[in-house]
Amino acid sequence: MKFLLKRLQKNKHLFEPGGKLERLFPLYEAQESFLFTPPETAKGAPHVRDGLDLKRAMITVVFALIPPTLWGIFNAGLQYNTVNQIADASTMDHWIQGMIIVMPIILVSYIVGGIIEVAFCIIRKHEVNEGFLVTGLLFPLTLPPTIPLWQVAVGIAFGILIGKEIFGGTGFNVLNPALTARAFVFFAYPAQLSGDQVWTVVKDGATQIDGFTGATPLAVAANVPDGQSVIAALNEAGFTWATMFGGAMGGSIAETSVIPILIGAAILIALGIGSWRIMVGGVIGLIAGASLLNLLPADNFSPFTQLPFYYHLVMGSFAFGIVFMATDPVSAAATTTGKWIYGIMIGLLAVIIRVANPAFPEGIMLAILFMNVMAPMIDHYVLQGHIRKRQADIKARRISYATS
Amino acid sequence: MTPIQIKKGLDIPLAGAPRPEIVDIPAAKSVAVYQEFPGLKAKLRVAEGDQVGKGSPLFIDKKRPDLQFCSPVAGVVKAIEYGARRALYRIVIDVGQSETPDVEFQRYSADQLRGVERSAVLSQLLSSGLFSLIRQRPFSRIADPEITPKAIFVNGMNTAPFLPDLNVVVQGQERAFQAGLDLMTRLTEGDVHLCIAPDAADSIKSASNVKVHQFSGPHPSGNTSIHIHHIDPMEPTDQVWTIRGTDLIRIGQLFLDGNYPDKHVISLGGPGVKEDARAHYRVQIGTPLVDLLDGRMQDGEQRVIKGDALAGVAMQEGEHVSAICSAITILAEGREQFFMGWMAPGINKLSASRAYLSGWNGHKRKWDLTTNINGGYRAMVFTGLYDKYMPLNILVDYLVRAVLAHDTDEAISLGILETDPEDFALCAYVCPSKMDISGVIRQGLEEIEKEGI
Repeated sequence: MKFLLKRLQKNKHLFEPGGKLERLFPLYEAQESFLFTPPETAKGAPHVRDGLDLKRAMITVVFALIPPTLWGIFNAGLQYNTVNQIADASTMDHWIQGMIIVMPIILVSYIVGGIIEVAFCIIRKHEVNEGFLVTGLLFPLTLPPTIPLWQVAVGIAFGILIGKEIFGGTGFNVLNPALTARAFVFFAYPAQLSGDQVWTVVKDGATQIDGFTGATPLAVAANVPDGQSVIAALNEAGFTWATMFGGAMGGSIAETSVIPILIGAAILIALGIGSWRIMVGGVIGLIAGASLLNLLPADNFSPFTQLPFYYHLVMGSFAFGIVFMATDPVSAAATTTGKWIYGIMIGLLAVIIRVANPAFPEGIMLAILFMNVMAPMIDHYVLQGHIRKRQADIKARRISYATS
Repeated sequence: MTPIQIKKGLDIPLAGAPRPEIVDIPAAKSVAVYQEFPGLKAKLRVAEGDQVGKGSPLFIDKKRPDLQFCSPVAGVVKAIEYGARRALYRIVIDVGQSETPDVEFQRYSADQLRGVERSAVLSQLLSSGLFSLIRQRPFSRIADPEITPKAIFVNGMNTAPFLPDLNVVVQGQERAFQAGLDLMTRLTEGDVHLCIAPDAADSIKSASNVKVHQFSGPHPSGNTSIHIHHIDPMEPTDQVWTIRGTDLIRIGQLFLDGNYPDKHVISLGGPGVKEDARAHYRVQIGTPLVDLLDGRMQDGEQRVIKGDALAGVAMQEGEHVSAICSAITILAEGREQFFMGWMAPGINKLSASRAYLSGWNGHKRKWDLTTNINGGYRAMVFTGLYDKYMPLNILVDYLVRAVLAHDTDEAISLGILETDPEDFALCAYVCPSKMDISGVIRQGLEEIEKEGI
């Protein structure tokens, strides 16, 4: 690898101040720091620094996203082969078909988003932030596999520009950029992002399986006629708790199965990168919200209110959202208490939007975005409380010292 | 006595701890006295070619003419050097014969010290320059002799890698150490607090006339801010004085012997020091660095740091071991680049984070850390990570943000006046964006000092 390093260093002067390509330094830095650890030494105290950098932290999130991504690829192929009744499709066929469906979506997201990100870094003259590696993968994983590629491009561009860059770039954004992109395409192109038909790729002109409606569990649950049991309706549509947990069904690419998401969550928590407080808070909020709704009189409210919390936990995108979207450190609450409040509120809001708002079958996206906006306010009040407590604590210590 | 337990923090497993043993460095042929106090305007008392005695004033503080800075040797002023904006940088003195006699200071017996007048203590400390070893919080500047501090905190600990071990430095100097403590009690109407580690020597533990407190736990449990916070915390309008235990010995010597104390013990450690040279050294104040380091450094490009690896300042060639330099730490400059380092499992890269394998059990062994920052400079991300390494009740992310926004009121209510930049060294150490957090805090403190509280 010495050869590669020499090559890089030979051309470094071109990108340094005074060089011909000075303006492209962020591009050079990104490339060099991708290939080799930077040679940078501490300018002042402390003269030693920890091994963790933002690149590693972000790569760890990407690493945690691998299980859901692999599942998404496999499941997209599986659904395609099932719905289109491809005879004798083997596991390998599912993988290959899944790749054909999913890879272009991920690639478009990375390429379009990457170009915008780098362009802004060059204009702003700062290093390329690795957070994009996460955003660029998170966004496609939340999309239905049928999405037109141009919408992926427009969506990620919107997310990066409006979600992040207009606020000043990484670290300054109020909203999670990937979710901003997802919300944008959801509202801009409802025909491709909602309804029953978008969750599985169907061959042109192909006939579908008899009885296959394409409806997601959330759509089924929201449309149960009064007086009937939601669980029974779900079971009838083929969605038992176990199948929803396993997730071999149509849906957003990486969100259908809870198992790989739990693996991702375990990685994030074990490696200390994702906030377990937000994740646990979200689950508590959802359990509390669903249980409260259960208390409503069944006769006066939609049957969906009676769905037990353990169904809510495995339905829709809740698991993916709370593990990967809500925990974005930039847009989440930053104080310890704030993280609990933020997580619990997301869970609570998500279930309320699901059940009470017929316009939005899934509530997690809006719940997180709403709480992204609220996070600074939560932190503000936590901070004021902290300051008051600090002063009281100092007074108490002084008195205890004076009297001892 | 039960030690006060500090839970948050981190002991960085840096290799190269100095042995608990003192080596004498021969007297230097030429020494230098530095003007190393930010904000101090020096007025010269000598010219090049002047003969000076040991303890002769070289320069004074323009604002407080009583405060003199003295020559540690007899000899001839060889050079007066200036730094940025023509401010005094250092005065180099060739050791030799001098017609100017050594200055004789007032001598006291140990018993006399316990009853000596405050004004007498102050005047001798000021005229010898040793008063500059006493700092005042907030802002950690040279103390103001006009005020009577609420309390004086003596730091007898060394949790940062690597400060001198008081147990070692105090050997044979027990009388001087106790004399220094007695003198401190003359300077305040409040208490003098001696903060020590649980493994302190009996001679330190049994110090009399002062309140002794033990602190245990990882770094920064040895930082003075932590001691103040846990014993008798400051309000923004309070003023307390602080001094390092190792410096007290020189003060004690001055009053007991009546001579200018021209030597002190410093520690020399870090992976850049040859293994058998990692020890404590007794050096003359102002000894050229080369006298100390010659033959004791590892090969390769090394960084010599005045102070510890976390809060020290990099030194240049040709510098000297100044009066406030209590330790020298040497680290290799880490310019080596590793292929695809971000993907490595991290067995060979130390991290407090579990995202590297070393974060799971790597802190059990010692590491030859270098000055490489292990990453690139990135935007600040609010993670709450810093708070894990800050035992004071301070939300570091918000304090840093308040300072960057020049919101001094917010910074004060978040507790900046209780701190010193060194308290944030661990936060900067773990920062994934490689921010200069200690520098931000320093800038905030300077701003508040300028504006007035």
